[in-house]
Amino acid sequence: MRNVSWKLIAAFTATAAASLVTFPMAGQQAPATKAAAAPAPKRELSGVWQFQSGGGAQGLAPEKDMPPMTPWAQARFATEKPGYGSRATTEGNDPILHCDPMGFPRVIFLPTPFEFVAAPGRMLQFFEREHEWRPIWTDGRSLPKDPDPTWYGYAIGHWEGDDTFVVESSGFNDKSWLGATGYPHSEDMRTVERYRRMDHDTIAYDITVYDPTAYTKPIVAPQKTMKLLAKTDEIEELVCVASEEEAFAKKIRIPAVAQPKK
Amino acid sequence: MKSRFAVKMFLTMFSLVVVGSAYAHHGNSAYDETRTITITGTATEFDFVNPHTQIYMDVKDDKGQVIHWSVECNSPGIMRRSGWTRNSVKPGDQISVTLNPAKTGVPVGFSGGKTGKVVLGDGQKLDMSPK
Repeated sequence: MRNVSWKLIAAFTATAAASLVTFPMAGQQAPATKAAAAPAPKRELSGVWQFQSGGGAQGLAPEKDMPPMTPWAQARFATEKPGYGSRATTEGNDPILHCDPMGFPRVIFLPTPFEFVAAPGRMLQFFEREHEWRPIWTDGRSLPKDPDPTWYGYAIGHWEGDDTFVVESSGFNDKSWLGATGYPHSEDMRTVERYRRMDHDTIAYDITVYDPTAYTKPIVAPQKTMKLLAKTDEIEELVCVASEEEAFAKKIRIPAVAQPKK
Repeated sequence: MKSRFAVKMFLTMFSLVVVGSAYAHHGNSAYDETRTITITGTATEFDFVNPHTQIYMDVKDDKGQVIHWSVECNSPGIMRRSGWTRNSVKPGDQISVTLNPAKTGVPVGFSGGKTGKVVLGDGQKLDMSPK
């Protein structure tokens, strides 16, 4: 499981990313043309970025495009009761409904921004959601061979050319979902992301999820667009407070899906 | 049954069918994203908290019956970028809220998509998401 050829993975990702650049998915916002914005600075991603989307439920990939699950994942999927999405139930057990960590990659698809901060030997990614952060090591180290699993995993990054930052991650625990509709992943999940700075204000974002324990094929996400927010914009403190989430559930989330009183 | 009928009548009166993409925090199928309505009434509570801001208000239907509405909104961080503060709405304020109603017909809604907004009594408009 862990000896998947990384070179094959990289080649597959590059091919998939290239095809998606050429044929953006329907409904995706087209990246700004280079004529419409200043040119991209070289090897530079610092700033606050906003994922352009219709909402968190879109997540990694549309449900219809998710590859078949393995029996292991199907069993997990059957136990998952999302509080939102097409299988919404008042008895939801989505980990985030109790303020468990969002985890990666789910956090990246929320309609809340993140900030890239370049530091010696690493790139730091601060997420508004959960006020969480993720170090991406750029000092040439390799991914650890047998890391202790965590919600946000372990990440290394490098530049391809002057405009594309490639991030490889592993070491995730299997407690988070891939999205609000409840798709599981295993501890064997690895991800490859490509942040391609199209111009000063735009990143074209590709991510492929490799998890042969859970899925029969890699999950190739449709290309997403991220926009640079104003320099004055700041990452807010969006912590999930368990007591407040519980009160919200009682007052709105559960009543919203209940049947009207007769 | 009477209250359900009243709610339906109310929704019928105020419905404006607008097809658009919602900006739900987690993505939320509880709400009818194909319908956008505007309700007007008196705010009773405004919770500017994470991860979901909430507005509660009393709205009179066409028969004068008071319906208590609960409205889910975006996170404070998203709303601050549209000019909101924790003092934007106070209990007793007359407000109009544009929202996607719950599919079940209960007086619960989501105001946070591109069409989500609140108009205060003095005419000030506050969008739920940055435009």
